Parts: sequence; structure tokens; C-alpha cells
Amino acid sequence: MSHQAKPTIDTPKESKLFGTYAEFDNVDQLLAGCRKVRDAGYIKTDAYTPFPVHGIDKALGIKPTILPWICLACGLTGTSIALAMQIWMNAIDYPYIISGKPFISMPAFIPVTFELTVLLAAFGAFFGMLALNKLPMFSNPVFTDPRFDRATDDRFFLFVSAEDAKYNQASITKMFGCLGSGHVADIHEDTSSNTVPRPFFVIVGLLALFSTVPLLTLARMRVTNSGSPRFHVFYDMDFSPSKDAQQTTTLFADGRTMRPDVPGTVAVGQFNDSIDFYTGIDMNQLSMIDQPRATRLVRALLDEPANDESATEEPATEEPANESTMTPADEQVADEPIAEGSAVDAQDAAAAGVGAAAAAAIDKTPWLTTNPLPITAQSLENGRKNYEIYCAVCHGNDGGGNGLVNRRAQRILATAWVQPSSLHQDTLFAEQYADGKLFNTISNGIRKMPGYSAQIPTKNRWAIVAYVRALQQSQNASIDELPADKRSEVKKRQAEIEQRLREQADAEKKKAEAAANKI
Amino acid sequence: MSLAIPQGLDNTVERPGERAPLILGDSTTYTTVTEMVSQIAERPPGKAWMIGFVISATLASWLGICILYLFYMGVGVWGNNNPVFWGWPIVNFVFWVGIGHAGTLISAILYLFRQDWRTSINRAAEAMTIFAVVCAATFPGIHIGRAWLAFWLAPYPSLNLWMWPQFRSPLLWDVFAVSTYGTVSLLFWYMGMVPDLATFRDRSKNKWRRMAYGVLALGWTGSSRHWMRYEKAYAILAALAAPLVLSVHTIVSFDFAVSQVPGWHTTIFPPYFVAGAIFSGFAMVLTLMIPARHIFSLEKLITIRHLENMCKIILATGTIVGLAYGTEFFIAWYGQVGEEKFAFINRALGPYWWAYATMVTCNVISPQFFWYKPNRTIPWRIVLICIFVNIGMWFERFVIVCTSLSRDYLPSSWGYFSPTWVDWSMLIGSFGLFFTLFLLFCRFMPIINMAEVKATLAGQLHHHHHSDVDAH
Repeated sequence: MSHQAKPTIDTPKESKLFGTYAEFDNVDQLLAGCRKVRDAGYIKTDAYTPFPVHGIDKALGIKPTILPWICLACGLTGTSIALAMQIWMNAIDYPYIISGKPFISMPAFIPVTFELTVLLAAFGAFFGMLALNKLPMFSNPVFTDPRFDRATDDRFFLFVSAEDAKYNQASITKMFGCLGSGHVADIHEDTSSNTVPRPFFVIVGLLALFSTVPLLTLARMRVTNSGSPRFHVFYDMDFSPSKDAQQTTTLFADGRTMRPDVPGTVAVGQFNDSIDFYTGIDMNQLSMIDQPRATRLVRALLDEPANDESATEEPATEEPANESTMTPADEQVADEPIAEGSAVDAQDAAAAGVGAAAAAAIDKTPWLTTNPLPITAQSLENGRKNYEIYCAVCHGNDGGGNGLVNRRAQRILATAWVQPSSLHQDTLFAEQYADGKLFNTISNGIRKMPGYSAQIPTKNRWAIVAYVRALQQSQNASIDELPADKRSEVKKRQAEIEQRLREQADAEKKKAEAAANKI
Repeated sequence: MSLAIPQGLDNTVERPGERAPLILGDSTTYTTVTEMVSQIAERPPGKAWMIGFVISATLASWLGICILYLFYMGVGVWGNNNPVFWGWPIVNFVFWVGIGHAGTLISAILYLFRQDWRTSINRAAEAMTIFAVVCAATFPGIHIGRAWLAFWLAPYPSLNLWMWPQFRSPLLWDVFAVSTYGTVSLLFWYMGMVPDLATFRDRSKNKWRRMAYGVLALGWTGSSRHWMRYEKAYAILAALAAPLVLSVHTIVSFDFAVSQVPGWHTTIFPPYFVAGAIFSGFAMVLTLMIPARHIFSLEKLITIRHLENMCKIILATGTIVGLAYGTEFFIAWYGQVGEEKFAFINRALGPYWWAYATMVTCNVISPQFFWYKPNRTIPWRIVLICIFVNIGMWFERFVIVCTSLSRDYLPSSWGYFSPTWVDWSMLIGSFGLFFTLFLLFCRFMPIINMAEVKATLAGQLHHHHHSDVDAH
């Protein structure tokens, strides 16, 4: 029963004494020992047990912990953080308007406030407990004695620290002996080396170094620009699977992404009971001069299959540029040898200086000479709008043939560029270039100009024709053609502008003189 | 030192004036408790464990593959579509969160009520909570569509969005509730394990094993001062976890109840969800504990009395759930709102009648068998009933999510939810993940709270000997 002289571990004699313990195998003995030690006046005592022993706090004289207060403080911090966060985020920095409720609506903020209160209080309890217990602490003198391994199993240890004012090894050993302890021994400070092995630092250092690589890479990417496209780990919605207008698809037999009108239908607002309206040609007259062509045009409009005979008889000569933007119906309308060929001829003839009469003689098509659209301020305004959307980029807002695209093409010296026609040449005036023909040109294109029948509804194309006529007149009119009341206004404007120009010139002259005088 | 409690004693019988023992066995001592629990982690795993692990790890891997497939293809691989956009991912989420609740209830609420019988089962139940929360958190995480942007849920100062989360949305409350719940449960579980990990450390013969458990045990010595603070911290955590566990499923139910969907917009949801969660959680605890108890020979620690007590809780909560089903119908009639009435008639008799019938059979009828004592005390019968309860509770969530969404106000946009193979794989895979984690836990961690069992044993011993030396 009496104690062994030394703990089984071979402790160097010079190592500092940590304390003395007694080992018990039941709770009752331990509690009795605790009370005895406490009554003997020892203060720096402790017991090591495999489970919390009821009543030991009193037996050893352990004071209550302040842990609950730490928890309360942490919990209140959580409450404050949650409320401040929600009020700041949802009411001040980025106020959300939800059903007209107040921005600071406490009932809605309760759940998150509660959760954060609990979370921080739980952190306070857990980490507070560890901090008060000075854990984690992996090196402890009690671990030097292998017998202590049973403190977490089935043995109970009573311990008196060597730092206690009353500590006396002999008397404590004697007292422990009287308590019925199975084993009494001293514990010495742990003298084993506490240097951390070198490889540990190497490994930790390398890991730390490598772990900075992704962060540094990200940081660098954030502050620098790159010419290469963004690296897509996930496509998100950056790339739409939908097709663009000119792409092909396998979904439809014809491979077209853009769908033609359903055969035999006319889009809402585009119906007109006169077929002339769609062709720009007096069809009655055409059927008298050229029956097959009239039939072909009507068939094309009604979207009936083309007659093989007429197709072989009269091979298509239309320009390839026209193909891409036209719906099938329009393509067949444009499949129009006389009109197309003669239009080109007429232009060429005009360019070559041949008389306009000669050019007109080649084109026998009975073009409509009057616009089927009623000409009103509204339709002209509609024409202007459509002209500025579709035509002005090339032909210019004034119709002079020097739109933005043309200017750009000239600046970059585009070789394949053909300058758009000026609309103010007399070959394009109504007398030589009928409204119907102009309509046909807009619809089906000419030379490099594509047809616009696919983009511009028929009515709007006629409106453009009307506007072009107005535009032509605006650039080629004398003041006498204006209404009397507008004339004086224009003259006044003119005088004003001239006056301003003169003043500007004078100012520049004076400046130059002043500069000369200075010298 | 041994306890003189006969091995064959039936501790489910109440004897007036005597406390039924919670730990059985003539020779059960502190030493044998340590031995019984520690040897599970010290010996090489048995055949049953290996087979179970291979199967569940395979299923868990399959879940992982399905998630990668989902990331690659997008959420269209699920059956979720107009009008049932929540589908199985949310059904599974609510199911798993509910499962978790029993663990916290056992460890926190029963602790606060000083129910000593919790000590043998609380560790495994808490572990189950953690793993159930892991399974639960997976589903909303992948359900958001672009899972790699899940951090958008957090209120962080975003340089890309320049906006904050909307704190009036129950879905955001859910983020806070479930993450707080997961964190607090983890702390609670880990803190409870520290003394037992120290036991494992001190029993280790192998240097590396000792080091690994040594790090996990944080240098625990069993000092009385440490125990005193530890117990205080444990009590505080229990006091925090008890309202927390009620709040979590309440907030989960808000996801539904705060919306305007008929069949969801009811005030009964919070208590009804909490009761259902405890109901399903206890069923899952029993489903896990009865085989584990058998495989690891823990019959002396997890006694029939423990099982019977849990069966009684299942009976009580199952009856509450049944009452809630009835109340919902009563209120739908009493409220006289057309859509609400329709929602409930549709639930029971509409296209999902089979799901509703399964739910009522499993949740309301099957726990009633526990009125009969042999059904509460014969383990295989308990497992059978508990499996029915688990199935029923999954169907309850399915019924709530799918019947209400598939037919709400506008008949022209009604629909019918059909799961895809990915839905099925993910449900089964989540069970694989759950069991994998649980089996790993059984293999490497102390599955029974040895310290608390020893304390209970000390109390039992104290009582048994009627020794009153300790004059406190």
C-alpha cells in the first residue's frame, strides 16, 4: 500500500518538482481525500477524474466560473451585430422597398438576430471554456506519468501542487497514505525537448508559400488587364444557345434559322388588296405586255411554287448580293429579268452620259407613277423615320450619298466600296425614275445595295418613297416655290446667318491685325 | 468494483420506490465501460461494418458523380419544372434537416430535463445530427442552380453586385438558421467528445494514433477545474441549442408558411414541422442505433429501456403529427377560402393521393403500434416501424412541396411532378453519404459518451449502495 519511492518514469533528479498525487479507485475515497486536503489548508490542489464528480467543487473549494458572463457578453454582441447589420444593409445602405413596410422592420429581423445571438453565445461558451481551461495545451507534466493515462479511464487522482505555500513532500505523502490510496507519487516538470523538429517548419513553410499562389494570382488578375478572353470555368449565361439570324440550324429541314412567313399569310397590318401595292408595277398593264412575268410575280406573292417552264425560259440574272436578305417570296419577285436588267442598264446609261430617254426606252415595265399611299404629314413623318433608320447611314440624312458608312469607307480606303448614289441626280427624279421603280429598288436592291423587303414593311417602303421625293424637292427648290408666309421667315434666317458669318470674319480679321501690330 | 445488478433484469418495468437501472450487467464497471466503447475503434472493423461501408461509400460516390453531372448539365437534369420548381431537392433538404433534430433534442432538451437515459445515446444522436445537416445543406446548395455562386447567400460587401441580401426573406433566415444550427451542433458534439477522445489518446499504444487523438483531445487531463467549466459550458450550450433546434425547423417551415401558396400559408406549420422533425429524427436514431447496438455488442449500455423511451417519444410526436394533419383539414374547411379548401381536398384525393395515403399510413397509423408493449421492446419490430416512419416523413415533405405547387390558383398552369433518374440517385446517394459518415464515426470516434455513462454508473452505484458518505 505504501508509496513507491519514485514514479515509474525515469525523471532526471534535477528536474523541478511539480507536485504529488494519490491514486484512488472510487469516488467516495477521492471525495474524502479532497475534503481532508482542503481542511488541511492546501489551496493549489486539483483532482483528475474520468467524469465530472458530483460535489467535488465544494470538496476541493473550487470557485464558480465566470463563463456564463462571457457567454452573455458574446450573445449580446451577436444581437448587436445582427441588428446593426440588418439595419445598415436593408434600411440605410441599400433600402429595400417591400410592400411599403418600414425599412427597419423589427419583426422580420428577429430570426437572424436570434440565430446570431445563439451562434456567438455558443462560440463564447466553447472558446471561453477552452481559454479559461488554458486548452489546447499538449504538454502537461501530468502526462509524464503513464499511470495518469487511467485518469481518463477508471482511476481518480488527487493532486497537490508543489507551488502551494504549505507544500511539504513528506507530510503530503504521509497524509495520502492514510487516505487509502493505492498509489502515491511525485510528478516532475516535463524536461523533454520542446524544440519543434526542423521538417515541421519546412513543410509548414512550403505549404504557406504555396497557399499564397492562388491568392496572388487572383490579386494580380484583379489589378491588371488582359487581351485574352475571360477564362470560363462555368459558362453561366455568357453564351446564349440561341441562334443568330444568319446561322444555320438542324431544327428545320431548310437549315434556316430565320423563319419565312407561313405560306399564304400576310403579317398583321401589311395587307393591301391591290397587288400593285406589293410590286410597284401596274399589273393590269404588265399582264397585257408580258403575261408570263405578271403570272410569275403574282405566283411569287401568293407563295405558290414557281412554274418550271417560265423559270427555264427566263433564267435569273439578279445580283447575288440580293439573295441573302430576301424572303423566298421576295426573291421570286426580284427574279425579274426585264426590270432588274433594265434598271442596271438605265443607271449605266445615265453614268455613261447616254440620254435618259434612251435608258427609259429600254425599261418597258409599267411602273406605278403615283405613290399608292395617301401622302399626309403622318406618312411623310413615317417615311422620314424609316429613311433615317435604314437609308441615311449610306445615303446621308440629306440624300447626298455621303452617309456615315460612306465616310468611314473612304477614311479606311475600302477598295470594294461603291459610293452610294446621290438621290439628287435628275435621273432619279420622279419624271425619269417612277415611284414604283424606286419602290422596287428599295425592296430588291440594286448593285451593291441589298433589298430591304425583309426589314421594312411594304407600307413603310412606300412612305420612304414619298419622303425621298420630298427630300429631292427640298434640295432643288427655288424660294418662289415656298408659301408666301414662309418666304420672309427663310429670308430673315438667311440674313441672320449671313450677318453672323460677316461678324465672324470681321472678328478674325481684327485678331489678325492685332497680332500683326503686336509684332 | 462491480455493480450488483443482475444481467437478465428487465429494466423496462417500473418498480415503485426504485429507480430502474440504465446500465446493465453484474460486472459493469468504469473499466468495462471504457473497454466496451473503446474496443470498437481499436479493433479492426468487422465484416458487417466493411459491407455496410462499401455499399454506402459507393452510393455516396454516386451522389458526388450526380452532383458533378448536375453542375455540368444544369438543373434541367432534375424533374423540377414549371410549376413545381422546388421538387425533390427541397423535399430532401427538409427531410434531412428534420432528421437532425432528434440529436439536438436528445443532447440538449433531455439534458436540461435531467433525463439520464440520454447518456448512452446522445453521442450517436448528435453525430447523426451533424451528418444529417451535411446531407441537408447539400441540397439547397446545389438547388440554387449555380452552386459555385453559393457565397452570394452570405451578406458580404460584394464588388460585383453592390447590393445586400434581403433580410425579410425566410430563405435568407434559413441560411442563417441552418448554418448556425450546423455550427452549434458541431461545437456541442465535439466538445462532448473531448474527454472521450482523451480516453482514446491515453489508451493508444501506437505513437501516431496517440498523436492524432492527442491533437483532437486538446490536452484534456480530467482536472476538476476543467470539468467544472466544461460542465458549465455544456449546460449553456444545451440551453442555447434547445431554443435553437425549435427555431431551425420553425424557420424552415417559414419558407413555406410565409408564401401565399394554398396549403402552405398556415400558422400551424412551425409547431407541426418541429413535431414532425422530432418524430422523424427519433425514428432515424432508432434505425441506426439498433443495428449498431447489435453489431458492437452494446446491449448493456443501450438497453431496452432506452429503446422503449424513444418509442414512446415517437408515439407522442407521431400522434401530434396526426393531430396536425387533422387540424389542417379543419382549418381549411373552417377558413372557407376556396383555394385552401381545394388544396387539401386535392392533397388527399387529387393526383398525389397515393403519396398522401402513404404519408398517413406511415406517420399516423404505424406509430400507434407502439401502444402495445412488445412492439416497443422487441428490437426488430421497432426497426420495422421506424423505417415506416422514415418513409412516411419523407412523403410528408413530398406531399407538402409537390401537391401545393403543382396545383395552385391558376388551373391553366397546373402540372404534375415526375422525378428523373438524377432525382432518385441523389435521394439514395444522400443516404449513402449519411451512412458513410456515420460508419466512419463508428469506426474512429467514441460512439457512446463514456464520461457521462460513468457518471450515471457512479450515481447508480451510489444509489445502489445507499452509501451516504458524501455529505454535500
